[in-house]
Amino acid sequence: MMGTGGLSLDQAPPIDIPARFFLTAPLFAIAAGLLLASQGPTLLVSRWMPGALAAAHLIAIGYLGLIMCGALLQMLPVVAGAPVPAVRLVGTATHLLLTIGAAGLAWGLAGGGPSLIWIGAGAAALGFLVFVAPVAVALARARGAPGTLLALRTAALALAVTVALGLLLVAALQGWIRVPEHTRWVDTHAAWGLMGWVGLLVVGVAIQVLPMFYVTPAYPAPVRRWFAPAVLVGIGAASAAWVMGADLVGQAVFGTIALGFVGFAFITLRLISRRERPRLDPTLLHWWAAMLSLCGAALAWAFAATPTLIGVLLLVGVGVGLPAGMLFKILPFLTWFHLQHRQLASGRFDLRIPHMGSLLSTRWARVQFGLHLAALALLVGSLWVPVLARPAGIALALSSLVLIVLLIGVARTYRQFAALLRPAHSGVEPRS
Amino acid sequence: MTDSIATFMTDDHQRCDHLLAACEQAVSGGDWTRLAEQVKDLSTALLGHFDMEEQVLFPELVAVSPWASGPTGMMTMEHAQMRSLAEELEDAVGTRDADACLGILETLHLVIQQHNSKEEGILYPMAEENLGDQTPDILNRLQAA
Repeated sequence: MMGTGGLSLDQAPPIDIPARFFLTAPLFAIAAGLLLASQGPTLLVSRWMPGALAAAHLIAIGYLGLIMCGALLQMLPVVAGAPVPAVRLVGTATHLLLTIGAAGLAWGLAGGGPSLIWIGAGAAALGFLVFVAPVAVALARARGAPGTLLALRTAALALAVTVALGLLLVAALQGWIRVPEHTRWVDTHAAWGLMGWVGLLVVGVAIQVLPMFYVTPAYPAPVRRWFAPAVLVGIGAASAAWVMGADLVGQAVFGTIALGFVGFAFITLRLISRRERPRLDPTLLHWWAAMLSLCGAALAWAFAATPTLIGVLLLVGVGVGLPAGMLFKILPFLTWFHLQHRQLASGRFDLRIPHMGSLLSTRWARVQFGLHLAALALLVGSLWVPVLARPAGIALALSSLVLIVLLIGVARTYRQFAALLRPAHSGVEPRS
Repeated sequence: MTDSIATFMTDDHQRCDHLLAACEQAVSGGDWTRLAEQVKDLSTALLGHFDMEEQVLFPELVAVSPWASGPTGMMTMEHAQMRSLAEELEDAVGTRDADACLGILETLHLVIQQHNSKEEGILYPMAEENLGDQTPDILNRLQAA
Protein backbone atom coordinates (compact mmCIF):
# COMPACT_ATOMS: atom_id res chain seq x y z
CA MET A 1 0.00 0.00 0.00
CA MET A 2 1.13 3.51 -0.62
CA GLY A 3 2.14 5.69 2.25
CA THR A 4 0.71 9.15 2.53
CA GLY A 5 3.80 10.59 4.15
CA GLY A 6 4.66 14.12 3.12
CA LEU A 7 1.08 15.06 2.49
CA SER A 8 0.54 16.23 6.00
CA LEU A 9 2.03 19.37 7.45
CA ASP A 10 2.35 17.56 10.79
CA GLN A 11 5.24 15.69 9.25
CA ALA A 12 7.18 18.79 8.30
CA PRO A 13 9.29 19.85 11.27
CA PRO A 14 8.38 22.98 13.24
CA ILE A 15 10.07 25.98 11.60
CA ASP A 16 12.40 26.62 14.55
CA ILE A 17 14.23 23.34 13.87
CA PRO A 18 15.65 24.16 10.41
CA ALA A 19 15.82 27.89 11.27
CA ARG A 20 18.23 27.40 14.16
CA PHE A 21 20.66 25.57 11.84
CA PHE A 22 20.41 28.31 9.21
CA LEU A 23 20.82 31.15 11.70
CA THR A 24 23.89 29.63 13.37
CA ALA A 25 25.80 28.50 10.27
CA PRO A 26 26.91 31.93 8.93
CA LEU A 27 28.65 32.62 12.27
CA PHE A 28 31.18 29.92 11.40
CA ALA A 29 31.91 31.42 7.98
CA ILE A 30 32.33 34.81 9.68
CA ALA A 31 34.74 33.17 12.13
CA ALA A 32 36.75 31.64 9.26
CA GLY A 33 36.95 35.05 7.59
CA LEU A 34 38.06 36.77 10.78
CA LEU A 35 40.65 34.06 11.41
CA LEU A 36 42.12 34.75 7.97
CA ALA A 37 41.94 38.50 8.52
CA SER A 38 43.84 38.19 11.81
CA GLN A 39 46.45 35.64 10.75
CA GLY A 40 46.99 37.06 7.27
CA PRO A 41 49.01 35.35 4.53
CA THR A 42 50.63 32.76 6.85
CA LEU A 43 47.28 30.95 7.05
CA LEU A 44 47.42 30.18 3.33
CA VAL A 45 51.10 29.17 3.09
CA SER A 46 50.11 25.52 2.98
CA ARG A 47 47.17 23.32 3.83
CA TRP A 48 49.08 22.12 6.91
CA MET A 49 49.01 25.54 8.57
CA PRO A 50 47.00 25.35 11.81
CA GLY A 51 44.89 28.32 10.70
CA ALA A 52 44.09 26.70 7.34
CA LEU A 53 43.03 23.45 9.03
CA ALA A 54 40.89 25.40 11.46
CA ALA A 55 39.24 27.52 8.74
CA ALA A 56 38.55 24.43 6.60
CA HIS A 57 36.72 22.74 9.48
CA LEU A 58 34.84 25.88 10.49
CA ILE A 59 33.45 26.00 6.96
CA ALA A 60 32.98 22.25 6.39
CA ILE A 61 31.36 21.32 9.70
CA GLY A 62 30.15 24.61 11.17
CA TYR A 63 28.77 26.20 8.03
CA LEU A 64 28.14 23.53 5.42
CA GLY A 65 27.40 20.75 7.89
CA LEU A 66 24.80 22.78 9.77
CA ILE A 67 23.04 24.06 6.65
CA MET A 68 22.96 20.58 5.12
CA CYS A 69 21.46 19.02 8.25
CA GLY A 70 18.85 21.76 8.67
CA ALA A 71 17.86 21.59 5.01
CA LEU A 72 17.61 17.79 4.94
CA LEU A 73 15.42 17.64 8.04
CA GLN A 74 13.08 20.02 6.25
CA MET A 75 13.37 18.64 2.74
CA LEU A 76 13.02 14.88 3.21
CA PRO A 77 9.34 14.94 4.24
CA VAL A 78 8.42 17.26 1.37
CA VAL A 79 10.50 15.84 -1.48
CA ALA A 80 10.51 12.18 -0.63
CA GLY A 81 7.55 11.71 1.71
CA ALA A 82 10.04 10.60 4.34
CA PRO A 83 9.76 12.40 7.67
CA VAL A 84 12.76 12.04 9.96
CA PRO A 85 11.75 10.20 13.16
CA ALA A 86 11.89 12.17 16.44
CA VAL A 87 12.77 15.28 14.47
CA ARG A 88 12.77 17.73 17.39
CA LEU A 89 15.14 15.60 19.47
CA VAL A 90 17.36 14.77 16.48
CA GLY A 91 17.44 18.40 15.36
CA THR A 92 18.23 19.77 18.80
CA ALA A 93 20.98 17.24 19.53
CA THR A 94 22.56 17.51 16.07
CA HIS A 95 22.58 21.29 16.15
CA LEU A 96 24.15 21.41 19.61
CA LEU A 97 26.78 18.73 18.96
CA LEU A 98 27.84 20.09 15.56
CA THR A 99 28.10 23.62 16.91
CA ILE A 100 30.27 22.52 19.85
CA GLY A 101 32.20 20.13 17.60
CA ALA A 102 33.01 22.65 14.87
CA ALA A 103 34.08 25.28 17.38
CA GLY A 104 36.14 22.88 19.51
CA LEU A 105 37.82 21.14 16.58
CA ALA A 106 38.70 24.42 14.87
CA TRP A 107 40.01 25.93 18.09
CA GLY A 108 42.07 22.81 18.76
CA LEU A 109 43.49 22.70 15.22
CA ALA A 110 44.31 26.40 15.34
CA GLY A 111 46.59 25.75 18.30
CA GLY A 112 44.28 25.10 21.23
CA GLY A 113 45.86 21.72 21.79
CA PRO A 114 45.11 18.01 21.37
CA SER A 115 42.39 17.68 23.99
CA LEU A 116 40.28 20.35 22.28
CA ILE A 117 40.85 18.54 18.98
CA TRP A 118 39.50 15.24 20.22
CA ILE A 119 36.64 16.77 22.18
CA GLY A 120 35.65 18.80 19.12
CA ALA A 121 36.08 15.91 16.68
CA GLY A 122 34.20 13.61 19.04
CA ALA A 123 31.28 16.02 19.41
CA ALA A 124 31.10 16.63 15.65
CA ALA A 125 31.25 12.89 14.89
CA LEU A 126 28.54 12.24 17.47
CA GLY A 127 26.48 15.07 15.95
CA PHE A 128 26.72 13.55 12.48
CA LEU A 129 25.94 10.09 13.90
CA VAL A 130 22.85 11.36 15.73
CA PHE A 131 21.81 12.92 12.42
CA VAL A 132 22.75 10.17 9.97
CA ALA A 133 21.08 7.28 11.81
CA PRO A 134 17.47 8.62 11.73
CA VAL A 135 18.04 10.20 8.30
CA ALA A 136 19.17 6.80 7.02
CA VAL A 137 15.86 5.40 8.29
CA ALA A 138 13.99 8.18 6.46
CA LEU A 139 16.07 7.75 3.29
CA ALA A 140 15.47 4.01 3.30
CA ARG A 141 11.68 4.57 3.54
CA ALA A 142 11.71 7.41 1.02
CA ARG A 143 10.14 7.05 -2.39
CA GLY A 144 9.91 9.19 -5.47
CA ALA A 145 12.64 11.50 -6.81
CA PRO A 146 14.96 8.51 -7.50
CA GLY A 147 17.89 10.51 -8.90
CA THR A 148 17.97 12.86 -5.93
CA LEU A 149 17.58 10.10 -3.39
CA LEU A 150 20.39 8.09 -4.94
CA ALA A 151 22.74 11.07 -4.77
CA LEU A 152 21.68 11.90 -1.20
CA ARG A 153 22.20 8.31 -0.09
CA THR A 154 25.68 8.23 -1.62
CA ALA A 155 26.47 11.64 -0.11
CA ALA A 156 25.39 10.38 3.33
CA LEU A 157 27.66 7.36 2.90
CA ALA A 158 30.56 9.59 1.83
CA LEU A 159 29.95 11.78 4.89
CA ALA A 160 30.11 8.70 7.13
CA VAL A 161 33.44 7.64 5.54
CA THR A 162 34.80 11.21 5.87
CA VAL A 163 33.91 11.30 9.57
CA ALA A 164 35.40 7.83 10.18
CA LEU A 165 38.64 8.84 8.45
CA GLY A 166 38.68 12.10 10.42
CA LEU A 167 38.38 10.16 13.69
CA LEU A 168 41.18 7.87 12.53
CA LEU A 169 43.40 10.90 11.96
CA VAL A 170 42.54 12.32 15.37
CA ALA A 171 43.40 8.96 16.97
CA ALA A 172 46.75 8.98 15.13
CA LEU A 173 47.38 12.56 16.20
CA GLN A 174 46.76 11.62 19.82
CA GLY A 175 49.17 8.70 19.48
CA TRP A 176 46.40 6.18 20.21
CA ILE A 177 47.10 4.33 16.98
CA ARG A 178 49.92 4.37 14.44
CA VAL A 179 49.14 5.22 10.83
CA PRO A 180 51.90 4.77 8.25
CA GLU A 181 52.15 7.57 5.69
CA HIS A 182 49.87 9.92 7.54
CA THR A 183 49.69 12.39 4.60
CA ARG A 184 47.99 9.90 2.33
CA TRP A 185 45.26 9.33 4.90
CA VAL A 186 44.72 13.09 5.15
CA ASP A 187 44.41 13.22 1.33
CA THR A 188 41.84 10.42 1.49
CA HIS A 189 39.86 12.20 4.23
CA ALA A 190 39.83 15.39 2.12
CA ALA A 191 38.87 13.49 -1.06
CA TRP A 192 35.89 11.79 0.62
CA GLY A 193 34.82 15.06 2.18
CA LEU A 194 35.15 17.32 -0.84
CA MET A 195 34.40 15.01 -3.78
CA GLY A 196 32.15 12.56 -1.96
CA TRP A 197 30.16 14.50 0.56
CA VAL A 198 30.16 18.08 -0.81
CA GLY A 199 30.29 16.99 -4.46
CA LEU A 200 27.47 14.45 -4.29
CA LEU A 201 25.35 16.70 -2.11
CA VAL A 202 25.59 19.37 -4.80
CA VAL A 203 24.65 16.76 -7.42
CA GLY A 204 21.62 15.59 -5.44
CA VAL A 205 20.40 19.10 -4.76
CA ALA A 206 20.99 20.22 -8.35
CA ILE A 207 19.05 17.31 -9.85
CA GLN A 208 16.13 18.11 -7.58
CA VAL A 209 15.96 21.87 -7.38
CA LEU A 210 17.24 23.31 -10.65
CA PRO A 211 14.37 21.96 -12.77
CA MET A 212 12.00 22.83 -9.92
CA PHE A 213 13.22 26.37 -9.20
CA TYR A 214 13.91 27.54 -12.72
CA VAL A 215 11.85 25.26 -14.99
CA THR A 216 14.89 23.87 -16.79
CA PRO A 217 14.89 20.58 -18.67
CA ALA A 218 15.65 17.61 -16.39
CA TYR A 219 19.20 16.26 -16.14
CA PRO A 220 19.82 13.46 -18.66
CA ALA A 221 18.68 10.09 -17.27
CA PRO A 222 22.19 8.51 -17.26
CA VAL A 223 23.46 11.40 -15.11
CA ARG A 224 20.61 10.97 -12.65
CA ARG A 225 21.06 7.22 -12.48
CA TRP A 226 24.78 6.59 -12.78
CA PHE A 227 26.79 9.65 -11.84
CA ALA A 228 26.53 9.48 -8.04
CA PRO A 229 27.17 5.73 -7.64
CA ALA A 230 30.04 5.93 -10.16
CA VAL A 231 31.66 8.74 -8.18
CA LEU A 232 31.26 6.79 -4.95
CA VAL A 233 32.84 3.63 -6.38
CA GLY A 234 35.55 5.77 -8.01
CA ILE A 235 36.51 7.50 -4.77
CA GLY A 236 36.57 4.14 -3.01
CA ALA A 237 38.92 2.66 -5.62
CA ALA A 238 41.09 5.76 -5.93
CA SER A 239 41.55 6.23 -2.20
CA ALA A 240 42.35 2.54 -1.67
CA ALA A 241 45.00 2.77 -4.40
CA TRP A 242 46.34 6.01 -2.95
CA VAL A 243 46.65 4.65 0.59
CA MET A 244 48.40 1.53 -0.71
CA GLY A 245 50.90 3.64 -2.61
CA ALA A 246 49.66 2.85 -6.13
CA ASP A 247 50.09 6.48 -7.14
CA LEU A 248 49.44 6.15 -10.84
CA VAL A 249 46.15 4.26 -10.42
CA GLY A 250 45.02 6.61 -7.67
CA GLN A 251 45.73 9.71 -9.72
CA ALA A 252 44.16 8.29 -12.86
CA VAL A 253 40.90 7.48 -11.06
CA PHE A 254 40.81 10.78 -9.14
CA GLY A 255 41.41 12.53 -12.48
CA THR A 256 38.50 10.69 -14.07
CA ILE A 257 36.21 11.70 -11.20
CA ALA A 258 37.36 15.32 -11.51
CA LEU A 259 36.61 15.17 -15.23
CA GLY A 260 33.17 13.76 -14.40
CA PHE A 261 32.46 16.73 -12.14
CA VAL A 262 33.56 19.15 -14.86
CA GLY A 263 31.10 17.42 -17.18
CA PHE A 264 28.41 17.74 -14.53
CA ALA A 265 29.18 21.46 -14.13
CA PHE A 266 28.90 22.01 -17.89
CA ILE A 267 25.59 20.17 -18.09
CA THR A 268 24.34 22.27 -15.17
CA LEU A 269 25.36 25.55 -16.80
CA ARG A 270 23.78 24.43 -20.06
CA LEU A 271 20.50 23.52 -18.31
CA ILE A 272 20.50 26.88 -16.52
CA SER A 273 20.95 28.66 -19.83
CA ARG A 274 17.90 26.80 -21.17
CA ARG A 275 15.69 27.71 -18.19
CA GLU A 276 12.25 29.11 -18.77
CA ARG A 277 12.12 31.51 -15.84
CA PRO A 278 14.06 34.50 -17.10
CA ARG A 279 15.19 36.07 -13.83
CA LEU A 280 18.85 35.94 -12.96
CA ASP A 281 18.21 35.89 -9.22
CA PRO A 282 20.98 35.83 -6.57
CA THR A 283 20.50 32.09 -6.05
CA LEU A 284 21.19 31.49 -9.72
CA LEU A 285 24.25 33.76 -9.58
CA HIS A 286 25.57 31.56 -6.77
CA TRP A 287 24.96 28.45 -8.90
CA TRP A 288 26.97 30.00 -11.70
CA ALA A 289 29.86 30.93 -9.44
CA ALA A 290 29.85 27.51 -7.76
CA MET A 291 29.89 25.61 -11.06
CA LEU A 292 32.75 27.74 -12.38
CA SER A 293 34.64 27.20 -9.10
CA LEU A 294 34.11 23.47 -9.53
CA CYS A 295 35.64 23.60 -13.02
CA GLY A 296 38.45 25.79 -11.69
CA ALA A 297 39.23 23.27 -8.96
CA ALA A 298 39.39 20.42 -11.46
CA LEU A 299 41.69 22.46 -13.72
CA ALA A 300 43.89 23.36 -10.75
CA TRP A 301 44.18 19.68 -9.86
CA ALA A 302 44.98 18.71 -13.47
CA PHE A 303 47.79 21.28 -13.61
CA ALA A 304 49.12 20.19 -10.21
CA ALA A 305 48.42 23.60 -8.68
CA THR A 306 48.82 24.06 -4.93
CA PRO A 307 46.25 22.08 -2.91
CA THR A 308 45.34 25.33 -1.13
CA LEU A 309 43.88 26.64 -4.38
CA ILE A 310 41.74 23.53 -4.82
CA GLY A 311 40.61 23.79 -1.21
CA VAL A 312 39.71 27.47 -1.58
CA LEU A 313 37.72 26.90 -4.77
CA LEU A 314 35.79 23.94 -3.38
CA LEU A 315 35.26 25.08 0.20
CA VAL A 316 34.59 28.77 -0.42
CA GLY A 317 33.58 28.82 -4.12
CA VAL A 318 31.17 25.89 -3.83
CA GLY A 319 30.79 25.21 -0.11
CA VAL A 320 30.19 28.76 1.16
CA GLY A 321 28.51 30.29 -1.89
CA LEU A 322 25.95 27.70 -2.93
CA PRO A 323 24.34 27.18 0.51
CA ALA A 324 24.03 30.97 0.91
CA GLY A 325 22.23 31.11 -2.44
CA MET A 326 19.90 28.30 -1.41
CA LEU A 327 19.08 29.95 1.91
CA PHE A 328 17.88 33.05 0.01
CA LYS A 329 15.01 30.88 -1.16
CA ILE A 330 14.59 28.29 1.58
CA LEU A 331 14.09 30.48 4.65
CA PRO A 332 11.67 33.02 3.08
CA PHE A 333 9.65 30.18 1.59
CA LEU A 334 9.44 28.25 4.85
CA THR A 335 8.46 31.43 6.65
CA TRP A 336 5.70 32.18 4.18
CA PHE A 337 4.51 28.57 4.32
CA HIS A 338 4.31 28.40 8.11
CA LEU A 339 2.66 31.82 8.37
CA GLN A 340 0.04 30.69 5.85
CA HIS A 341 -0.83 27.74 8.02
CA ARG A 342 -1.02 29.94 11.09
CA GLN A 343 -3.36 32.19 9.18
CA LEU A 344 -5.64 29.26 8.38
CA ALA A 345 -5.62 28.20 12.03
CA SER A 346 -6.28 31.71 13.33
CA GLY A 347 -8.84 32.73 10.73
CA ARG A 348 -7.20 36.18 10.44
CA PHE A 349 -7.81 36.57 6.71
CA ASP A 350 -7.74 40.37 7.01
CA LEU A 351 -3.95 40.18 7.34
CA ARG A 352 -1.87 39.76 4.23
CA ILE A 353 1.12 37.44 4.69
CA PRO A 354 4.31 39.04 3.30
CA HIS A 355 5.42 37.33 0.08
CA MET A 356 9.00 36.13 -0.40
CA GLY A 357 10.17 39.31 -2.10
CA SER A 358 9.23 41.41 0.91
CA LEU A 359 10.67 38.90 3.40
CA LEU A 360 14.20 39.01 1.98
CA SER A 361 15.47 41.86 -0.15
CA THR A 362 16.75 40.65 -3.53
CA ARG A 363 18.91 43.76 -3.78
CA TRP A 364 20.75 42.95 -0.55
CA ALA A 365 21.04 39.35 -1.66
CA ARG A 366 22.85 40.67 -4.73
CA VAL A 367 25.16 42.67 -2.49
CA GLN A 368 25.86 39.46 -0.58
CA PHE A 369 26.75 37.72 -3.84
CA GLY A 370 29.03 40.59 -4.84
CA LEU A 371 30.90 40.38 -1.53
CA HIS A 372 31.17 36.61 -1.88
CA LEU A 373 32.63 36.99 -5.36
CA ALA A 374 35.08 39.60 -4.09
CA ALA A 375 36.12 37.28 -1.24
CA LEU A 376 36.64 34.40 -3.66
CA ALA A 377 38.67 36.52 -6.10
CA LEU A 378 40.80 37.98 -3.30
CA LEU A 379 41.37 34.54 -1.78
CA VAL A 380 42.52 33.06 -5.10
CA GLY A 381 44.63 36.17 -5.77
CA SER A 382 46.22 35.99 -2.32
CA LEU A 383 47.86 32.68 -3.21
CA TRP A 384 50.07 34.71 -5.59
CA VAL A 385 49.85 38.15 -3.97
CA PRO A 386 49.95 37.41 -0.21
CA VAL A 387 49.01 40.95 0.80
CA LEU A 388 45.46 40.22 -0.40
CA ALA A 389 44.91 37.61 2.32
CA ARG A 390 43.62 39.98 5.01
CA PRO A 391 41.19 41.82 2.70
CA ALA A 392 40.01 38.37 1.52
CA GLY A 393 39.25 37.39 5.11
CA ILE A 394 37.37 40.63 5.71
CA ALA A 395 35.33 40.17 2.52
CA LEU A 396 34.49 36.59 3.49
CA ALA A 397 33.35 37.72 6.95
CA LEU A 398 31.36 40.61 5.48
CA SER A 399 29.53 38.48 2.92
CA SER A 400 28.46 36.06 5.65
CA LEU A 401 27.54 38.95 7.91
CA VAL A 402 25.18 40.26 5.23
CA LEU A 403 23.79 36.73 4.90
CA ILE A 404 23.06 36.39 8.61
CA VAL A 405 21.56 39.89 8.85
CA LEU A 406 19.21 39.02 5.96
CA LEU A 407 18.23 35.74 7.62
CA ILE A 408 17.64 37.43 10.98
CA GLY A 409 15.41 39.92 9.18
CA VAL A 410 13.28 37.05 7.85
CA ALA A 411 13.10 35.48 11.33
CA ARG A 412 12.00 38.79 12.89
CA THR A 413 9.21 39.21 10.36
CA TYR A 414 8.11 35.67 11.13
CA ARG A 415 7.90 36.41 14.85
CA GLN A 416 6.05 39.64 14.25
CA PHE A 417 3.38 37.98 12.12
CA ALA A 418 3.23 34.80 14.17
CA ALA A 419 2.30 36.94 17.18
CA LEU A 420 -0.58 38.46 15.20
CA LEU A 421 -1.71 35.06 13.99
CA ARG A 422 -2.26 33.25 17.26
CA PRO A 423 -4.68 30.34 16.83
CA ALA A 424 -8.24 31.51 17.44
CA HIS A 425 -8.93 28.90 20.12
CA SER A 426 -6.05 30.04 22.34
CA GLY A 427 -8.28 32.70 23.82
CA VAL A 428 -5.70 35.40 23.25
CA GLU A 429 -7.09 38.36 21.36
CA PRO A 430 -4.70 39.08 18.51
CA ARG A 431 -3.41 42.62 18.39
CA SER A 432 -3.37 44.32 15.05
CA MET B 1 -4.43 11.76 -26.14
CA THR B 2 -2.94 10.03 -23.13
CA ASP B 3 -4.66 7.15 -21.37
CA SER B 4 -3.05 7.85 -18.02
CA ILE B 5 -4.48 10.13 -15.34
CA ALA B 6 -1.01 10.85 -13.97
CA THR B 7 0.34 11.90 -17.37
CA PHE B 8 -2.70 14.02 -18.15
CA MET B 9 -2.53 15.88 -14.84
CA THR B 10 1.27 16.22 -14.93
CA ASP B 11 1.08 17.73 -18.42
CA ASP B 12 -1.38 20.26 -17.06
CA HIS B 13 1.07 21.12 -14.25
CA GLN B 14 3.71 21.80 -16.85
CA ARG B 15 1.34 24.00 -18.82
CA CYS B 16 0.89 26.11 -15.67
CA ASP B 17 4.69 26.26 -15.13
CA HIS B 18 5.12 27.65 -18.64
CA LEU B 19 2.36 30.23 -18.12
CA LEU B 20 3.97 31.40 -14.86
CA ALA B 21 7.36 31.75 -16.59
CA ALA B 22 5.62 33.80 -19.30
CA CYS B 23 4.27 36.15 -16.61
CA GLU B 24 7.78 36.70 -15.31
CA GLN B 25 9.01 37.43 -18.80
CA ALA B 26 6.25 40.00 -19.17
CA VAL B 27 7.26 41.68 -15.88
CA SER B 28 10.85 41.94 -17.10
CA GLY B 29 9.60 43.37 -20.38
CA GLY B 30 7.66 46.09 -18.52
CA ASP B 31 4.57 45.74 -20.73
CA TRP B 32 1.71 46.01 -18.23
CA THR B 33 -1.11 45.34 -20.68
CA ARG B 34 0.57 42.14 -21.80
CA LEU B 35 1.31 41.18 -18.20
CA ALA B 36 -2.35 41.60 -17.25
CA GLU B 37 -3.31 39.19 -20.05
CA GLN B 38 -0.63 36.68 -19.05
CA VAL B 39 -1.71 36.80 -15.41
CA LYS B 40 -5.31 36.22 -16.49
CA ASP B 41 -4.21 33.17 -18.51
CA LEU B 42 -2.24 31.83 -15.58
CA SER B 43 -5.14 32.29 -13.14
CA THR B 44 -7.56 30.60 -15.51
CA ALA B 45 -5.24 27.64 -15.98
CA LEU B 46 -4.57 27.28 -12.25
CA LEU B 47 -8.20 27.56 -11.20
CA GLY B 48 -9.21 25.14 -13.96
CA HIS B 49 -6.68 22.63 -12.69
CA PHE B 50 -7.91 22.97 -9.10
CA ASP B 51 -11.49 22.46 -10.28
CA MET B 52 -10.54 19.27 -12.13
CA GLU B 53 -9.04 17.90 -8.95
CA GLU B 54 -11.58 19.13 -6.43
CA GLN B 55 -14.67 18.31 -8.51
CA VAL B 56 -13.64 15.14 -10.32
CA LEU B 57 -10.42 13.43 -9.31
CA PHE B 58 -10.42 13.82 -5.52
CA PRO B 59 -14.07 12.80 -4.94
CA GLU B 60 -13.60 9.73 -7.17
CA LEU B 61 -10.44 8.76 -5.32
CA VAL B 62 -12.00 9.24 -1.89
CA ALA B 63 -15.04 7.22 -3.00
CA VAL B 64 -12.90 4.13 -3.65
CA SER B 65 -10.29 4.71 -0.93
CA PRO B 66 -11.76 6.70 1.98
CA TRP B 67 -8.34 7.03 3.65
CA ALA B 68 -7.31 9.31 0.80
CA SER B 69 -9.46 12.07 2.30
CA GLY B 70 -6.54 13.24 4.47
CA PRO B 71 -4.11 13.88 1.62
CA THR B 72 -6.77 15.30 -0.72
CA GLY B 73 -7.95 17.61 2.06
CA MET B 74 -4.37 18.83 2.44
CA MET B 75 -4.08 19.40 -1.30
CA THR B 76 -7.36 21.31 -1.34
CA MET B 77 -6.05 23.54 1.44
CA GLU B 78 -2.95 24.30 -0.60
CA HIS B 79 -5.19 25.14 -3.57
CA ALA B 80 -6.77 27.79 -1.36
CA GLN B 81 -3.30 29.24 -0.64
CA MET B 82 -2.55 29.41 -4.35
CA ARG B 83 -5.93 30.96 -5.13
CA SER B 84 -5.22 33.73 -2.66
CA LEU B 85 -1.72 34.29 -4.12
CA ALA B 86 -3.25 34.50 -7.59
CA GLU B 87 -5.64 37.20 -6.33
CA GLU B 88 -2.75 39.03 -4.68
CA LEU B 89 -0.90 38.90 -8.00
CA GLU B 90 -3.83 40.47 -9.84
CA ASP B 91 -3.89 43.27 -7.25
CA ALA B 92 -0.16 43.89 -7.71
CA VAL B 93 -0.63 44.08 -11.49
CA GLY B 94 -3.45 46.55 -10.87
CA THR B 95 -1.15 48.84 -8.87
CA ARG B 96 1.74 48.28 -11.32
CA ASP B 97 4.10 47.20 -8.56
CA ALA B 98 6.82 45.24 -10.39
CA ASP B 99 8.71 44.20 -7.23
CA ALA B 100 5.54 42.85 -5.65
CA CYS B 101 4.67 41.00 -8.87
CA LEU B 102 8.06 39.30 -8.90
CA GLY B 103 7.93 38.47 -5.18
CA ILE B 104 4.43 36.99 -5.47
CA LEU B 105 5.31 35.06 -8.63
CA GLU B 106 8.37 33.63 -6.86
CA THR B 107 6.24 32.57 -3.87
CA LEU B 108 3.51 31.16 -6.10
CA HIS B 109 6.09 29.27 -8.15
CA LEU B 110 7.60 27.55 -5.10
CA VAL B 111 4.21 26.73 -3.58
CA ILE B 112 3.17 25.19 -6.90
CA GLN B 113 6.40 23.20 -7.19
CA GLN B 114 6.29 21.62 -3.76
CA HIS B 115 2.55 21.00 -4.18
CA ASN B 116 3.06 19.36 -7.58
CA SER B 117 5.91 17.18 -6.38
CA LYS B 118 3.59 15.75 -3.74
CA GLU B 119 0.75 15.21 -6.20
CA GLU B 120 2.97 13.72 -8.88
CA GLY B 121 4.99 11.62 -6.45
CA ILE B 122 2.19 10.30 -4.29
CA LEU B 123 -1.36 11.30 -5.10
CA TYR B 124 -1.49 10.64 -8.85
CA PRO B 125 0.19 7.23 -8.57
CA MET B 126 -2.33 6.49 -5.81
CA ALA B 127 -5.16 7.50 -8.15
CA GLU B 128 -3.79 5.39 -10.99
CA GLU B 129 -3.56 2.38 -8.72
CA ASN B 130 -7.04 2.71 -7.25
CA LEU B 131 -9.08 4.01 -10.16
CA GLY B 132 -7.70 1.63 -12.81
CA ASP B 133 -10.85 0.53 -14.67
CA GLN B 134 -12.61 3.89 -14.45
CA THR B 135 -9.67 5.70 -16.09
CA PRO B 136 -11.25 6.38 -19.55
CA ASP B 137 -14.42 7.75 -17.95
CA ILE B 138 -12.51 9.96 -15.50
CA LEU B 139 -10.23 11.25 -18.25
CA ASN B 140 -13.28 12.27 -20.27
CA ARG B 141 -14.73 14.13 -17.33
CA LEU B 142 -11.39 15.81 -16.53
CA GLN B 143 -11.20 17.11 -20.07
CA ALA B 144 -14.75 18.35 -19.89
CA ALA B 145 -14.27 20.06 -16.50
